[in-house]
Amino acid sequence: MCIFVDENTRTVVQGITGNVGEVQTKLMLEYGSKIVAGVTPGKGGMAVHSVPVYDNVKEAVAEHAADASILFVPPLFAKDAVIEAIDSDIKLLVVITEHIPIHDTMYMREYSRCAGARMIGPTTPGIICPGKTKIGITPANVFLEGNVGIISRSGTLLYEIAGNLSLAEIGQSSCLGIGADPVIGTDMKEILELFEKDEQTKLVVIVGEIGGVQEEEAAKFIKHEMSKPVIAYVAGKVAPREKKMGHAGAIILGEKGTAKSKMDVLIKAGVEIANKPSEIAKIARIHL
Amino acid sequence: MRLFEYEAKEIFKKFGIPVPKGLVVRSAKEAASAAKQIRLPVAVKAQILVGGRGNAGGIKFTSDLDEVIAETKKLINRRIKGRKVKMVLIEEKLDIQNEYYMGVTIDQLSGKPILMFSTEGGVDVETIAKKKPEMLISKKISVSRGFFQFEARDMCMQLGLKGSTLLKVGSILHKLYEVFIGYDAMIAEINPLIITSNGEPYAVDAKLEVDDNALFRQPNLELNLSTRYEDKIKIEAIKHGLSYVRLDGDIGVIGSGAGLTMATIDLITDFGGKPANFLETGGGITEELMTKAVELVLKDRRLKGLLINLYGGINPMPSAAKGIVKAYEKLKPKIPVLVKLVGNQQEEAWNILGNYAIPIAKKIQTEKAVEKLMNLLGG
Repeated sequence: MCIFVDENTRTVVQGITGNVGEVQTKLMLEYGSKIVAGVTPGKGGMAVHSVPVYDNVKEAVAEHAADASILFVPPLFAKDAVIEAIDSDIKLLVVITEHIPIHDTMYMREYSRCAGARMIGPTTPGIICPGKTKIGITPANVFLEGNVGIISRSGTLLYEIAGNLSLAEIGQSSCLGIGADPVIGTDMKEILELFEKDEQTKLVVIVGEIGGVQEEEAAKFIKHEMSKPVIAYVAGKVAPREKKMGHAGAIILGEKGTAKSKMDVLIKAGVEIANKPSEIAKIARIHL
Repeated sequence: MRLFEYEAKEIFKKFGIPVPKGLVVRSAKEAASAAKQIRLPVAVKAQILVGGRGNAGGIKFTSDLDEVIAETKKLINRRIKGRKVKMVLIEEKLDIQNEYYMGVTIDQLSGKPILMFSTEGGVDVETIAKKKPEMLISKKISVSRGFFQFEARDMCMQLGLKGSTLLKVGSILHKLYEVFIGYDAMIAEINPLIITSNGEPYAVDAKLEVDDNALFRQPNLELNLSTRYEDKIKIEAIKHGLSYVRLDGDIGVIGSGAGLTMATIDLITDFGGKPANFLETGGGITEELMTKAVELVLKDRRLKGLLINLYGGINPMPSAAKGIVKAYEKLKPKIPVLVKLVGNQQEEAWNILGNYAIPIAKKIQTEKAVEKLMNLLGG
């Protein structure tokens, strides 16, 4: 099974006519994802890689029975686009956009939860179920179908870790980036719950980094409710305090959020820690 | 982006939060005339963008004009907690009956603003939370519903405030939330909010940090980068939208994606090297941006080697390769440079780099690239 999506997910691309939206639409289509429509206000009637473009989400949903949306809209318009999609009955939103103001994200998180919609991100690489489908910007070639679920706060580090596993011929079930901002739509812990229930997934890898409370909350769930083995890698061991390390959420404040404190909490919850990306495959092999 | 105390106070004042009379000065001479204008006694306060300056000698109270001059001289250009003092705030000293704490920040777990109020101000909020948790009232706010005056009063009533103090402090707590929302803040804090013997509240200290991603819609903020950062490379990086952090070592690092770049500096350290910096490009690489990134990092004279670690997901690798080549041609670096580049369009990018004999690591494992660079450095 895939987490949140499958081969039948019908996806709208918001911001399909931009450079990134266009290129990524092509890559998703090549992977076999059902991209049924695009939305760019003012460009209705166009087509991008044979995908019809609409002026709003409502029309795209009415014509194509879409149930998911991937967003490549600029940060200034992201909140508007997310609310529009939710009000058009989209149930899954994958927000790729980086640099969205955090006050907008707080609103988007609250609104999506009240409406019963699922928001992934912002600043996420999206979701890939190797061999089946992808709703995101993850490259295709580093992933391999298999039994390991990956949850990552970072995009490029997800590719590195998945690539390392694939080279060791350890495939993946679903790989998700939860997004690198301090406030996100779906938490690491919520995805762990789904991996715990997923039959295809035999083991879960957490790719964490400094800052925030995602790993700590995940640890609580793992300790009390997770039966499957979990391996974690946490980036930012040598990051200095009080400095934002690229991601808006990657900052050590006071004594909180260091790589060491996260690893300690995870170890106490029974998680095995990989000190280098290559160690993940070695530990995984013992369990599979 | 954190604001200086005096900048935060100007904003608080605009929202109707009372602040002491104060003037910002850059010299002892200006300090003397400011102190005369405000009237002694005054507080002489170093303006730096880091907390805990009081204990580090950054704040002095005095009723002697000569001492105002001497203290300002002592503070200007001195380093406090690693930051060079360029400005000093001369401020009216008020008599203090009570010290309260109030703050708004973002609760990452719930994704909501969280308001906090305590009648035990003057120490940091973590200390209040640890030592007297019953004296710290907090409330998470729904951003779509907002925060109302009566709720602010309710929070104050829980700690026993009454009469005109209840009304005044409740109103300030509500205004602080308005500042937080109006300025796209990550944190807005008054510590302490003092009550004078006449029963008047004043924000004696002010902290305001604005979300970097929202600066574009905060036109009232005049942000002079050179007063905020000392490192010229950092200032240039911010101007180009690059994320740069200076570190203590001698191996330059450029990466695409914060997680990958963090993992790279960790691995360099694991292999016995010392990273000189963290530079992350984000997902908007162009040829020009990549050239700029390489130029910036190579400006650092401490460098003995440079590792560029790029992944072609959303970023176009051929453009990145062209940008690296351009910087390489212009600066002709004498130190070893290694480019690890994989992902979409990797072959095209490798050809571009290969034509200029720039060493490339073609495997996905960053560990292998770090090992290769360490070998190039002879270590």
